[in-house]
Amino acid sequence: MAVEEAVKTVGKIGFDVFSPSEIRKYSTVEVTVPETYDEDGMPVQGGLMDNRLGVLEPGQKCGTCGNTSARCPGHFGHIELAEPVMHVAFVDIIHELLVTTCRSCGRVLMPQDEINVYQQKLSEQGYTNPNLLERVSKEIIAKTKKAKICPHCGKRKLEIEFTKPHLFHEINEEGGAIRLLPAAIRERLERVIDSDLRLLGYDPQGARPEWLILQVLPVPPVSVRPSITLETGIRSEDDLTHKLVDILRVNQRVRESKDSGTPPLIVQDLVDLLQYHVTTYFDNEVSGIPQAHHRSGRPLKTLSQRLKGKEGRFRGSLSGKRVDFSSRTVISPDPSLDISEVGVPYDVAMKLTVPERVTPWNIDFLKKLVINGPGIHPGVNYVVRPDGVKIRLEFASDRESISQALAPGYIVERHLVDGDIVLFNRQPSLHRMSIMAHYVKVLPYRTFRLHPAVCPPYNADFDGDEMNLHVPQSEEARSEAMMLMRVQDQIISPRYGGPIIGAIRDFLTAAFLLTKVETKIGKESFANLAYAAGYVGELPEPEFKDSYSGRQLFSLFLPKDFNYRLTSKWSKAKGVKSDKDDVLVKGGELLSGVIDKASIGAEEPDTILHRVAKDYGTDVARSFLNSILRLLRAYVSSVGFSYGFDDLELTEAGRKEIDEIIRKAYTNVEDLFKKYEKGELDVMKGLRPEQVLEQRIMTELSHAREFSGRVVERSLPDTNSGIIMAKTGARGSSLNLGQMMASVGQQSVRGKRINRGYYHRALPHFPQKDRNPDAYGFVKSNYRDGLNPIEFFFHAMGGREGLVDTAVRTQQSGYMQRRLVNAMEHLRVEYDLTVRDPQGAIIQFLYGEDGVDPSKSDHGKAVNVERLADSAALLDDPKAPRVTAKDVDTLFNEFQARLNPKLIEELREVLVVDSKSGKEPLSKRAARSVVEKATELYHASFVEPGEAMGVVGAQSIGEPGTQMTLRTFHFAGVKERDVTLGLPRLIELVDARKQPSTPTMDIYLDENHRTTRAGALEVAKEVLFTKVYDLVQQVKRDYANNSVVLVFDPAKLEERGATVDDVAAVIRAPKGKVIPDAKSNTVTVMMENLDDAAVVSAREKFLNTRVKGIPGITSVSVITKEGEWMIQTAGSNLQKVLKVNGVDQTRTTTNNIYEVNMALGVEAARTALVREIISTLEEQGLEVDIRHILLVADLMTSKGFMQQIGRHGIAGSKTSVLARAAFEITVPTLAEAAATGEVEELKGVTENVIVGSTIPVGTGMVDIYMKGGS
Amino acid sequence: MSEEEFRASRHLFVPKHEIVPPDEVQALLTKYNASLDQLPYILTTDPNVSELGAKPGDVIKITRKSETAGVTYYYRLVVEG
Repeated sequence: MAVEEAVKTVGKIGFDVFSPSEIRKYSTVEVTVPETYDEDGMPVQGGLMDNRLGVLEPGQKCGTCGNTSARCPGHFGHIELAEPVMHVAFVDIIHELLVTTCRSCGRVLMPQDEINVYQQKLSEQGYTNPNLLERVSKEIIAKTKKAKICPHCGKRKLEIEFTKPHLFHEINEEGGAIRLLPAAIRERLERVIDSDLRLLGYDPQGARPEWLILQVLPVPPVSVRPSITLETGIRSEDDLTHKLVDILRVNQRVRESKDSGTPPLIVQDLVDLLQYHVTTYFDNEVSGIPQAHHRSGRPLKTLSQRLKGKEGRFRGSLSGKRVDFSSRTVISPDPSLDISEVGVPYDVAMKLTVPERVTPWNIDFLKKLVINGPGIHPGVNYVVRPDGVKIRLEFASDRESISQALAPGYIVERHLVDGDIVLFNRQPSLHRMSIMAHYVKVLPYRTFRLHPAVCPPYNADFDGDEMNLHVPQSEEARSEAMMLMRVQDQIISPRYGGPIIGAIRDFLTAAFLLTKVETKIGKESFANLAYAAGYVGELPEPEFKDSYSGRQLFSLFLPKDFNYRLTSKWSKAKGVKSDKDDVLVKGGELLSGVIDKASIGAEEPDTILHRVAKDYGTDVARSFLNSILRLLRAYVSSVGFSYGFDDLELTEAGRKEIDEIIRKAYTNVEDLFKKYEKGELDVMKGLRPEQVLEQRIMTELSHAREFSGRVVERSLPDTNSGIIMAKTGARGSSLNLGQMMASVGQQSVRGKRINRGYYHRALPHFPQKDRNPDAYGFVKSNYRDGLNPIEFFFHAMGGREGLVDTAVRTQQSGYMQRRLVNAMEHLRVEYDLTVRDPQGAIIQFLYGEDGVDPSKSDHGKAVNVERLADSAALLDDPKAPRVTAKDVDTLFNEFQARLNPKLIEELREVLVVDSKSGKEPLSKRAARSVVEKATELYHASFVEPGEAMGVVGAQSIGEPGTQMTLRTFHFAGVKERDVTLGLPRLIELVDARKQPSTPTMDIYLDENHRTTRAGALEVAKEVLFTKVYDLVQQVKRDYANNSVVLVFDPAKLEERGATVDDVAAVIRAPKGKVIPDAKSNTVTVMMENLDDAAVVSAREKFLNTRVKGIPGITSVSVITKEGEWMIQTAGSNLQKVLKVNGVDQTRTTTNNIYEVNMALGVEAARTALVREIISTLEEQGLEVDIRHILLVADLMTSKGFMQQIGRHGIAGSKTSVLARAAFEITVPTLAEAAATGEVEELKGVTENVIVGSTIPVGTGMVDIYMKGGS
Repeated sequence: MSEEEFRASRHLFVPKHEIVPPDEVQALLTKYNASLDQLPYILTTDPNVSELGAKPGDVIKITRKSETAGVTYYYRLVVEG
């Protein structure tokens, strides 16, 4: 700290290709000798370990700079290659240049006037196209590839044949292939002029193409490839050194054999070997050549492998680093803690330190700590003197004197103590609540302790989970943690604008037990409980003679002016309809209703906690939650709550009823079989009878379980622990109760009853084609009584699928999230509330279209207008004049500029009261105050400028991915209209695929066709793709008349709405005649040539000819929806379908976003994308704020076409080289950046993380600007 | 309906597109402190662009229905595509 060296920040990074002269210039040694050390173990001069390349051992001195290993940065050397070789990373570029330029004069194969045109285009400033350079070079390449003759020198162009990885052949006029050696290629490339290179998109200053062929190879300093000395004293060299030794050896042999006049063929073999070694030195995973192996058989890790992949330099060492001042251990719950606290074991607290600067105000305290030293808890591990010397107290014999020497300016690294702020994290860090700031509470034992209520944001449980803890080391870091990251500031999740923290499990049980009507609490226990929860103040009057109600105890902690109304989960589960069971809070008094998950639960919007947090701020919310949770803990500890085997006991009547239900179901199944055999089963559209049967059986059996589950629910009293837990949302569901007490139900694999295994049976214990549901995995037993071995086995089959599913899903959703974050991380909200990328390109003109931050919103809405109006009505003066619709309008005129249309609409709805409704309008003053308050709240809920809403959005969409099902299909009524849903569909959408896996259309019809089924069918026939094959009954061959006769099925013709003439019109028979005959439903094709082969091919051709309909539409079904007929299809072709007569062009849609883009444009594609993402998430029951989805959709369409979230889309088109390299295709990205002379501007997030500067979002965005002196 | 009659702009998914008069473009750019190429793009091949007869360099104002704000405006620069 004392020797503050000049700190410089990286401004820009340019990428270039090393030229041979540069390599030589920077080189300190020419390495010629393949040996590394001599017999004495000294580095050989001119060898790979030459001390001029830097030193490794601490005692040695560098031969170049004279420094010891600690200070010597290392120096490059070089190898002069005996023969030029190619650089693997650049072969594609070399190939491109060879193809686009003339072999003789080196000019681009394009006439001068065209070159001028393109040059003009490139020099044009402005807006014609963003990717102009890329496009122009692509066009040029395409054009030059077609050129036959060089327009400059008139030489014929010869075909170049490129064999990966580095073989080039030229096909000469005689058709012979002549190998192009690197030396020859180099000569050609030298001839390419600079202006032509610029045209092709290369940077001739930084990367002359001839430099892509290596003549000199740089040798990295030894510090890049350190050797390790094992305990045995044996030296082990780095993989790179091994590779360089290989290169040197072969290089020497090439030189020697050239000098001694060896036949060129043999020399060439050696040169190829040299090329091999140089190639594997750069990249040991090139396809087409064998990998270089270590003696032990392990493939060598060469340069490319060092950079690539998760553990590579970019992702493993630069984007993510290991840190000090951190700790990890198992977590356990501690409900006595505050929700914002974390329990830290003494052992940890005494290792992690906080640097504290000595000041007159803390000197006495710190002196005491120093005396305590490192071994006694509030102690000190290090003292840093003002001269920068660090004293380690562990070894200090006299702490007393060090303590005395303490003076302002010293820095004391003291132990963690209660009240310090630390960051607490659990992986996977899927959203921002995965790292929160907690206050330290030092505790005994060896685990981190956290309050159970903060488990949901971390997704933690205590079955062995471990968590990490980080101690911020600077005042800035601490204050940022305190202002932005505290638990209480994260109560409301930005994903859906509701609280993610709240009561869980037994807290909810306790809340129910406390607030149910029967609960009475004696005066003494009331006081005790209130005290235990930290209540300070007067006790209320008891509700009953000499006891309190539980609600009174709960009410103690509600804010005094708090009003609230909601139907409890308990009431909903019980099916109680009357309002008087609603949770009703008036003036901070809980008047009725039970408190359960719906009113204080975690991950539940519109709870009491949510209202408190919104209306009173996070401090109040925190203390409210703390007191309530402490109260509930104290209460449930005093009354007790348990669940055991006895609670699973069922009444005899209930048991009988369940048996009866299952027996009945079995007979019903048998009946279904009988009906099926007689062919009496009702047909279902598009299904074969077996499928119908299977479906009916499955419904029957699932009903059996459902009904028996209901019996359980009915026969249990409300005092049953299981019922309490299930209905208050504390744990479990009625499904679980049913499975424990009634019947486990049908086990399934891949969404079907278990039917695989043996021939026509699942297990050998059953006869083939058994009709008994037992044979296909129906588990009659329940968990209480236990399963029989066969049931157990089926159960394990179903269970296994669940485990596999979870494993696959975590991987898939993890990768999707990585891509999302990578694509959106650089987006931030600017000071004008636009969303832009680092280049300033606008993605949204106003974040989320209304500027509201979802985490400051009220369940997605900026202002809860009803609540505002309600509270205004409460305080309203009943005698003041009422507002009229006209007043409201003038009010809106005044506030229009500061509100948005949606809010105005919502306000109007509550302010303008219909006279018929009998409701009293507000007074003029109250109405005004409502509008004013709404405006104020709206502006208060705006996003903070600088907020990284991109990342927040990516997390909000990615995080629920883990909770989605993987079961891809959903049966939508018609065969083939099973649509992909869940995670695979979401991935498909962000991938911007051209063809979704299950394309489908909703075709709406115009007035003439939507009223009747016949009308709809008429259109359906025009839409459904029909080939001759679909109509034909038989194809006959008539030898007598030399013809092929197509016999049609009249039913099929009718069904598809086609006639024989239609068919005849489309069949093409060259040199033949097509004769339709409507009477016999045949088409006769007279053919000239009737040998077997011709007939077979002709037959194929005829059958595959399109008769009518639209390509891609494989099946249609006509349904009624909301009183009109419409068509649903499998397969999609929007552009064509829209042009079909009878189709409603304004409403017809498809789930293929790409088609929407082509047919209706980007804006429509955006709309469709938003709709599809929303419906996918909704179908899974996941709540995501629409603003996140809008941002993704706007980003994907911002360039005018659909861009994928991933390497071929947004992440791949980022301006930053480092960001692209860190994402996926590391090495080729870097090579291309060098060849095209890209410059890293360091404006985005990843880039700045990589170079180690502050990231330009959030608090890192702030800069100071100063007017220059005049 | 014949093919000429098909107009993308009539579809439910397509919000209103209109060309921003050239003299108002500057004011728009000043408002958002942006250069033309910093606007989102719309390609010349987009059916709505050809319907409006917009040329590269034109700015298109899009009036979107918004679930959060009721109505919002979005601007796109016409770009060769």
